[in-house]
Amino acid sequence: MNVRRIALLSAIASLCVGIQLAPRPPSVEFTSPICFLTGFLFGAFFGALLGALTMFINGFLSPWGFAGIIMPFQMLGMALIGFVGGVYRKSLGKNPSVGYSLNLEVISLAAFFTLVYDIITNVGYAVLFNVNIIAVLILGTWFTIVHVVSNTLLIGGAFFGLVRIVGNLLGEDIWACQRED
Amino acid sequence: MGLSKRGLVIFCLGWLVSLVLTSFVAGYYYMEFQKEVQLSREYANMYNNLTQNYTGLLNNYLELVAQYESEKQNLTELVEEYQSCIMHVNICIDYKEWNATVVWYNDTIVPLGCDLLQATRTVAIVNSTYWSAHQASFVDAINGVWKAGARFWMWYRWNAEKKIWEYGNVGADRYKLTNSETVMWRYEIPGYS
Repeated sequence: MNVRRIALLSAIASLCVGIQLAPRPPSVEFTSPICFLTGFLFGAFFGALLGALTMFINGFLSPWGFAGIIMPFQMLGMALIGFVGGVYRKSLGKNPSVGYSLNLEVISLAAFFTLVYDIITNVGYAVLFNVNIIAVLILGTWFTIVHVVSNTLLIGGAFFGLVRIVGNLLGEDIWACQRED
Repeated sequence: MGLSKRGLVIFCLGWLVSLVLTSFVAGYYYMEFQKEVQLSREYANMYNNLTQNYTGLLNNYLELVAQYESEKQNLTELVEEYQSCIMHVNICIDYKEWNATVVWYNDTIVPLGCDLLQATRTVAIVNSTYWSAHQASFVDAINGVWKAGARFWMWYRWNAEKKIWEYGNVGADRYKLTNSETVMWRYEIPGYS
């Protein structure tokens, strides 16, 4: 990873942490859409690194309190979302037609991996504190629903628009190749 | 446009999400329902206990009321019996020639048929001497105020019709009081002396 990439990672991580620390409703967050987008644009490894780094910093600074031993599970979940962004980009190949079905795919992925993130963190909590896993998952139902719905709306509504904007900013054809340098 | 294998898999994931979330909601409501059922049972038990306690208390209350009525009846009879054995008199002690104070003992309860000497002893410390020649007692002192020289303790009764004090012409132990009578002891130099 070169200096340019490290600087980019730091800048996006700062953005994510800043948004994480800003006042917001519980379970509504912007880190996973950004990680997914970053993974999509700059590669799976980069997206995963961003997700893990953001949740690591957030674990110490979160207004909801120190994440403690749940933090590794949050890092894992967010890294997975960033990673999936990169893998998804690869699976699309070059010059896919951005349309209704692609938007639906992104929405489905967002919903699924947000759910996976919530399951990972809840299972982590249940295992660490020796609580019934099913009970923990069920008790967090409303938080999970808010999280999944908000992420689905955010990613589904803004993803390809943001991809186009970033492409214009970088002055490159974003579909030409995935930047894994 | 045909759906690609990738697209199909991803849509399946989306469908799985809705399935899982629906299961979570169902599970959540099932847990809430179980909690409510448990609470309902607890409330029903509490209600039954309360009803039992209330019934018990009501029975105790009714017993107490019956007991109270019975006691009240007994006490009423006792009071009536008691009322038939007592009378109320008004006693005045006038320390005229000693310090000029006057003390009233109104509605003093004394036994029925009580004489003046006995009645006075219920409100004051009385020293008396029995004179067998007169078959009567003579009061020497009331509340430590002793006869001295020409000063004696004389008694009067109130004539309600004439509204005057009448001089007591017998010894105090020879005079039987009647209900609601008013009498007076006066420390004085008797008018006859």
